[in-house]
Amino acid sequence: MSDLHTSRPAIDPDARPIVEARDLKTHFQGRSGIFSALAGVKPPTAKALDGVDLRIRKSEIVGLVGESGCGKSTLGMSLVRMYQPTDGRILYLDDDITRAEGRRLKDYRRQAQIIFQDPYSSLNPRLTIGQVIEEPLVIHDIGNAAERRERVVRALDLVRIPAVDNIDRYPSDLSGGQRQRVAIARALVLEPTFIVADEPVSMLDVSIQASVLELLDELSRKLGLAILYISHDIATVGYICDHVAVMYLGRIVEEGKAEDILSAPLHPYTQRLMAAIPRMDPGDTAGRAEIRGDVPSPMNVPQGCRFSSRCPYVADLCRAVEPELGQHPAGQRVRCHIYGSEGAKRFPDLQRPEWGRITEVTDAGTLAQASS
Amino acid sequence: MTSTSLATPENRTASPATMQALATLNDRLAAKPAAHLRVEKLSIAYSTARGPFHAVDDVSFEVKPGTNLGLVGESGCGKSTVIKALIGLQPEGTKVSGQALLDGQEILGLSERALQDVRWTKISLITQSAMNSLDPVYCIGDQICEAIQAHESVSRATAWARAEEMFALVGLPASRLHDFPHQFSGGMRQRTVIAMALALNAGMLLADEPTTALDPIMQSQIMSRIRGIHEHMRRSMILVTHDIAVVAETCENTVVMYAGKVAEKGPTTDVLARPLHPYTMGLQNAFPRLPVKGQPRQALISIPGIVPNLLRPPPGCRFAGRCPFATERCHIEAPAVTAVGAQSAACHYIDRAPEFREAAARPETWRKLGAGA
Ligand SMILES: Nc1ncnc2c1ncn2[C@@H]1O[C@H](COP(=O)(O)OP(=O)(O)O)[C@@H](O)[C@H]1O
Ligand SMILES: Nc1ncnc2c1ncn2[C@@H]1O[C@H](COP(=O)(O)OP(=O)(O)O)[C@@H](O)[C@H]1O
Ligand code: SF4
Ligand code: SF4
Ligand SMILES: [Mg+2]
Ligand SMILES: [Mg+2]
Repeated sequence: MSDLHTSRPAIDPDARPIVEARDLKTHFQGRSGIFSALAGVKPPTAKALDGVDLRIRKSEIVGLVGESGCGKSTLGMSLVRMYQPTDGRILYLDDDITRAEGRRLKDYRRQAQIIFQDPYSSLNPRLTIGQVIEEPLVIHDIGNAAERRERVVRALDLVRIPAVDNIDRYPSDLSGGQRQRVAIARALVLEPTFIVADEPVSMLDVSIQASVLELLDELSRKLGLAILYISHDIATVGYICDHVAVMYLGRIVEEGKAEDILSAPLHPYTQRLMAAIPRMDPGDTAGRAEIRGDVPSPMNVPQGCRFSSRCPYVADLCRAVEPELGQHPAGQRVRCHIYGSEGAKRFPDLQRPEWGRITEVTDAGTLAQASS
Repeated sequence: MTSTSLATPENRTASPATMQALATLNDRLAAKPAAHLRVEKLSIAYSTARGPFHAVDDVSFEVKPGTNLGLVGESGCGKSTVIKALIGLQPEGTKVSGQALLDGQEILGLSERALQDVRWTKISLITQSAMNSLDPVYCIGDQICEAIQAHESVSRATAWARAEEMFALVGLPASRLHDFPHQFSGGMRQRTVIAMALALNAGMLLADEPTTALDPIMQSQIMSRIRGIHEHMRRSMILVTHDIAVVAETCENTVVMYAGKVAEKGPTTDVLARPLHPYTMGLQNAFPRLPVKGQPRQALISIPGIVPNLLRPPPGCRFAGRCPFATERCHIEAPAVTAVGAQSAACHYIDRAPEFREAAARPETWRKLGAGA
C-alpha cells in the first residue's frame, strides 16, 4: 500500500478528461412566500453554482475547498446529475450529459458515484453490510444473486474490510471509519469511473482519517478513478490531491497544483482561507489576517468581484467588473484584478486594487483592536 | 468608554443613566477573579441496563488561574463526561466520585440550588448542542437579559446594554438581539452561545468542541474571539477539542484522555514536541498539516482499532489493543503514571519514548496491527 507522502504520478494535462464542467450553473428557485405571491414578486434565486469550469482526468484527484455555503456540494451533486444544472454543460468522455434522461441518465449514474460526509446516517441501518453494497446492483439490475455476491465481496476487498467476517453484520456494528469504507464500497460496486467524495472524512476522528484518505488515493491509482474530493479540512487536501480548486460564492477563484495553492496562494480569499487553518507550531499565528463576516447569500451576489464585500484591497474596478480566471506566471490560475485582467484594460480609468493598499478594514484584528 | 467596557456596539440604545449603571455592572463583573480548578481522582460511571459504564476513571488535573487547558482524545474517551460533571449536568443515577475544587469550593454533588449560584456566574459552558438550547419563542436579547438578571440585580435596560456589548464582542450587530434563534445561521448561533457564556464573566469557561464541524474561517473567527477575551479578561478555560492545532494555539497545558483515563498531561509545548505516551504520538502523527513549499512532508498515520468498551474495561493498559509497542505485560498490568518534569504519562515504557517517537512517525509501525480501522 502507498503512503500518503509519496508523490502521486503526474497527470498528463492533455489527457482527455473523464468529466468536464463548462460554465456550469445550478440555481435554486427560492420558495415564494404568501406575501411575495400576493404582491406578484418573483421569489429570489439562489445562484449556488454560477459558472464553473473544471476537468477531472483518469487517476486524478481534484480537491475542492472553500467556506461552507460557497457551493461545493452543489457542484458535486450537479456533476453526478443529482441536481439538474440550470445552464452550462457537463461532458462525460466528451459526451454531453447535461440534460440526459432515461436510459442515458441511468448509464451515466452508473459511472458517476457520490460519497457523503456522514457515515452514520448514510447507510440504511436495517440492511446488512452485504445488502447495503448490493443495493445499487439490484437497482441497476446487474447480474444474478451469485454474481452480485461476488461483486460485493470484491468491493469489500477493495476497501479492505474482510468480507467473511462482515458481510452479514449491520452498519451499527462497525466503527465510523469502517462505515465510511462501506459507503465507498457501495459506490465502487458499480465500477464507476468518477467519484465525488463530499467531505468523506469530516465526521471521522483524526486518528482514522488517514486510512480513508489512503484508500481514496489507492483507488485512484489502482482503478484509474477520477475523484472530486470536497473538503473544508483543507490540510487533508494536500495529502491526496493533484489539483485544487478554491470556490467562493458559486465560482472558482483560484486553481492549480495542490502544493502551490496550499503553500503559496495568490488570491486574497485563498490567502485568508489558508491563514485561518490552525498551525501546530506555536508562533505561526502571529499576524494572522482574519476575515470578517459570513459569505454573502447566493441570493444576493455582490456586483463585480464576488469577494469585494470582504476584501481588504477592494477598489472601484473590483466593484464594477468581475475578474476572469487568469493564468498567473507562478503556475496557478487566479480570479483577481490585482494580477491584471481584461477589466483593467477595458476600464483604465477605474481605480485598480493593489497589494498592500488596504482600502477597507475587513480583516478583523485581535480583540484589543476591536475594542479600542 | 470605561476601562471595563469590552467592545463598543454600533448604535447603542442605552440612555446616559443606563450607561452609568452598565459601567457599574461591568466593573463589578470585571473584578471577578480568574478561577482556579483542581480535579482530583475524578471517576464517573453511567448507570446502564448492562451495569455501570466507567466513562471516566481516576482523572486528575489542575487549571491555574488565567490559563487554558486543552482536553483532547478521540470521541468516546470521556471528555464531555468530565465537562458535564463539572457543571452538574450528568444524567440521574450517574456515580461521580473524587473531587473538583473551584477556588477551594467542592462543586461535585452540589444541590440544584447551589448549582444555580455556580453556573453562569463562576463557571459557564459553551457546547455545540447549546445552539439547540436557545428558546425558539424568545428573541435572543431577552434570553441573554434573563440570564444576566437572574444573577445580577440590574434593570432590564442595563442588562440589554450589557447584551449589546457581548454581541459586539463576538462580532454580531446589536440590532440582531431582537432576532429569534431561527433567524440566525449556525455560525451566528454559535457566537450567540459564546456571548451568553461570557455575559456574567464567569471565572471558568468550559468550552466543549465549540468549533467542531465549522469551516476553518468560522472556526478561526470564533477561536480568536475566545482567545482574545481570555487574554483581555484573564479568565480560565477548559477547551475540549479533537483539533490539536487549536490546542497548540490556545492552551498552555494539555490533558490527553484515552478510554476514560489520562494517558498524558503537561505543558502543551512539551506534550506536542516530545510526547511520552504512544497514544499522543499517534494522535499527533495522524493530524494533517499544510505542506511547506519545497519541504518533504511526514506521512499521515492512522491508529487502527477502536476505543475499548468500558462496560468491561481491559485489565492492563487501555491502549494495549491498539498500541504498536504493547508487550505481554501491557495486557496484564495497568501502567502507573510516571512524571518527567512537568509532563507525565501512564505507560510502562516511558523511558523508551524517544525510540517510540521515531517509530511512531512511520505509517508501517501502526499498520502491522491490522487493517480496516
Ligand atoms: N437544494 C437547495 N435549495 C436551495 N438552496 C440550496 C440548495 N442546496 C444548497 N443551497 C444553497 O446554495 C448555497 C451553496 O450550498 P452548498 O453547495 O451546500 O455549499 P457547500 O457545500 O460549499 O457548503 C448555500 O447558500 C445553500 O443554502
Ligand atoms: N448518558 C450516558 N449513558 C451511558 N453511557 C454514556 C452516556 N453518555 C456518554 N456515554 C458513554 O461514555 C463514553 C464517553 O462519552 P463522552 O464523554 O461523550 O466522550 P467524548 O466527549 O470524549 O467523545 C462513551 O462511550 C459514551 O458512549
Ligand atoms: S482585489 Fe478586487 S478583484 Fe481581487 S479579490 Fe479583492 S475585490 Fe476581488
Ligand atoms: S503501557 Fe504498553 S500498551 Fe500502554 S501505551 Fe505503554 S507501551 Fe503501549
Ligand atoms: Mg457541502
Ligand atoms: Mg464530547
